[in-house]
Amino acid sequence: MSQNRTAIKARKLRTLALCITTLAAASAATAQPYQQDGRIGYVLTERHWAIHETEAKTECPQGMNSRGSRDLFAEQFPEGGDGERTVVDTRLMIEGYQYHTNTATTDIYDSLPFYEAQGDVSYGLNLDGEVSADDFKNSAGEEGIDNQLYRALGCIAGYRKDGPYWFFENDFMINNGYNRWMIELSGVDDLVNDDEVTVTTYRGLDKLFTDATGEGFIAGGTQRVDARWGQSFVEEVKGRIKDGVLTTEPITQAKIPWSQPGVSDGYHIFKDLQLQLTLTSQVAQGLMAGYVDVEQFNHRFRTNWSSHHQNYGQSASASEYAALKRLADAYPDPETGANTAISGAVEVTLTQVYIVHPDE
Amino acid sequence: MHLNNFLAVVFVAAIVALVSTASAAADTPSDTMYWQSAASGAQEAYFEEELPPGIQVVATALDGPVYADANGRTLYRWPLRALRNGSTGDRKDGPSNCTDEVLRTEVGFMSPYPAGLVLPYAEQGVSCTQVWPPVLASDDAVEMGKWSLADRADGSKQWAYDGFPLYSSHLDKKAGDVLGGTKIGSGGDGGVVRVPAGPLPDIPPGFKVLGSSTGRLLVNGDDYSVYSWDGDEANISNCVEECLNSWTPVRAPQVSADSGDWTIIKHPSGINQWAFRSRPLYTHNNDSRSRSFDGSDVPGWSNVYTQRAVTPPDEFTVQDAAFGGQVLADSRGRTIYLYNCRDDSVAQLACDHPDAAQDYRLAICGNGDPEVCRETFPYVVAEADASSESSLWSVMLIDPNTGRRVGESATASAAANGDGEGALPVWAYNQRPVYTYGGDQTPGETRGDSFGEFLGRRNGYKAFVLRDVFQNLHFRR
Repeated sequence: MSQNRTAIKARKLRTLALCITTLAAASAATAQPYQQDGRIGYVLTERHWAIHETEAKTECPQGMNSRGSRDLFAEQFPEGGDGERTVVDTRLMIEGYQYHTNTATTDIYDSLPFYEAQGDVSYGLNLDGEVSADDFKNSAGEEGIDNQLYRALGCIAGYRKDGPYWFFENDFMINNGYNRWMIELSGVDDLVNDDEVTVTTYRGLDKLFTDATGEGFIAGGTQRVDARWGQSFVEEVKGRIKDGVLTTEPITQAKIPWSQPGVSDGYHIFKDLQLQLTLTSQVAQGLMAGYVDVEQFNHRFRTNWSSHHQNYGQSASASEYAALKRLADAYPDPETGANTAISGAVEVTLTQVYIVHPDE
Repeated sequence: MHLNNFLAVVFVAAIVALVSTASAAADTPSDTMYWQSAASGAQEAYFEEELPPGIQVVATALDGPVYADANGRTLYRWPLRALRNGSTGDRKDGPSNCTDEVLRTEVGFMSPYPAGLVLPYAEQGVSCTQVWPPVLASDDAVEMGKWSLADRADGSKQWAYDGFPLYSSHLDKKAGDVLGGTKIGSGGDGGVVRVPAGPLPDIPPGFKVLGSSTGRLLVNGDDYSVYSWDGDEANISNCVEECLNSWTPVRAPQVSADSGDWTIIKHPSGINQWAFRSRPLYTHNNDSRSRSFDGSDVPGWSNVYTQRAVTPPDEFTVQDAAFGGQVLADSRGRTIYLYNCRDDSVAQLACDHPDAAQDYRLAICGNGDPEVCRETFPYVVAEADASSESSLWSVMLIDPNTGRRVGESATASAAANGDGEGALPVWAYNQRPVYTYGGDQTPGETRGDSFGEFLGRRNGYKAFVLRDVFQNLHFRR
């Protein structure tokens, strides 16, 4: 009798093991999100302006810029100077210029030197399809890279790795749900090679799906589409996947959420926005590039970062403005002829999510 | 494979139900969602305590009940807070830091500017106590409960509540005015602010009341919103079966008892449930964030307030905003903005009132140029005889070139013409003009938000947010 019970128990254990193995195999076979309906979604989990940096800082031979309002104040209103320093003539003069750079007649930061990034190497994409003298080469030697924004910002410590803008803009992107930007690929037959897919951008409603440390992001989370308030962030464009890399046609104009805490509505406007992302079923990583609207860049910076915080990066929105205008390389103003947008690129990592539409 | 597919379907179905509920009823009228009529009379009840002679409780339009002096003027405290480069305000159980010293320079607490900058009003001999008169006690005053006496440098005694010396505001003129501060969260980089002192709300343990731009919101102990349903009857819950898939009755402990506005009812399931003003209370199962208004998107369901603000002027509208929420807007849908300002003197005086120095505002809105200022942040012009049933809103005559309030002697014809040379009748909130932003092109845009120092809180503009899904900015001034 006992031998029969032992045998029965052993058979049950083998059957159970077989069931577990079968279920695991079945799980693996259905792990590709797009294989169910040709859709796969990714949500932005990391982003930084594409700044080419060398250890020796050869791109900044004159050093880093020191051009915040604190630097300006020390230069123009030194302690012990002539007469009393008044709030109106010092602090409010600087604050007034900060918020009216586009209409002011003189640049109050002109007395401080501004160092552009040097050299011909940068990250980015060839946005205009041409190779010109002002273009960069990327680290792979590809020519025609358009990234004049790097020229303007590359020697400002705040934008470089571990600088305050580099760190905090990414950190607050993660923690501020307003910034939940995602893309959905549809019409996907194969994540390695597919001649035509559709890419749609959305704003999501939910928190990011993190690992147990809270620092890393894992695939498989869910993001509901913000259909009610997020309409201005929705764009659709065609793309293709070749050897696992997604590239898209340009999006004529895209609004990308980019807000610091406490601000209702920070965003960037990218014109001719393109994506170049290496795809897996869990992660999309690469570049987002386009022509960044200069006025909106300036407006966003001055409303999202206080003068105090801009000084962490030894910068000020007002002190960058002239460089952005000078280096702008696209979208000339029909009246003045001055370019209104500057080529730029953002290094991005997106993590796979299940995107839920309201009508599903 | 079949099990995984089944589970996946169940999971997706749950998500779809959640999304469908949230988006199905985005048309809940904002008038009943956010405000109450002036005739409603609903006011926040409070725990009574013994008060010194001459101190009373006064009801206010937005901040609930506050303590006031014999003339009805709101009493404020000034809690110590740290700014970027230093601290100011009053320590608990410490003396008052609001003195008779004439204020002449900034103290450099704000950053990034140094101390010693001469204030715009330096020649006017302004002191902290002129703007914030201390609430002095008589020689025979006796401490009681939370009411204590703080010694002032001149030998007089000042009333303190809960350890903090008390002041009135030179701006408050009549009972119910709370023009010197707010219970809504404020301060921080926006300056060390004064906060109205008041009794605790009469709510059971397990609940909180949060100050918001639309009134005093009731939430549970974890800050999750509580709701009521039009489908219930007075002290009777009809939320059963399918209703419970989306709503959970707020349970009352066995040891609780009815008190004031609060009753304990028996839910059909057998549990004890809280009811407030006879309306059974629930939490919304699909609220993914605290302080949510998502439940009010469902027809028949409403967030619960101890006291809502009274409806704003009829011409104002509510607009959906891309930041994820709603804003108060003018008749064209242009977002309304409030201007905030505090100087960096040791007293952290407000500079956002039309009777204060306008240099701060003119710098931000116009780089010193009043015309640029009016283009950047136009006033919301009102009909000269316009009025509002809400005491928070008024029409004020403003000199558009100086930004200062004009006395009542300004000519009516100049006001009616909107002549830039004459006074302009403008809408004001809490006795401060409101604005739109010239850069907002479409209804619900908020590009003018945070325009100014420290995100518009120290010297700048903030959108009048009614609801904010992602950042709860309607709980912040």
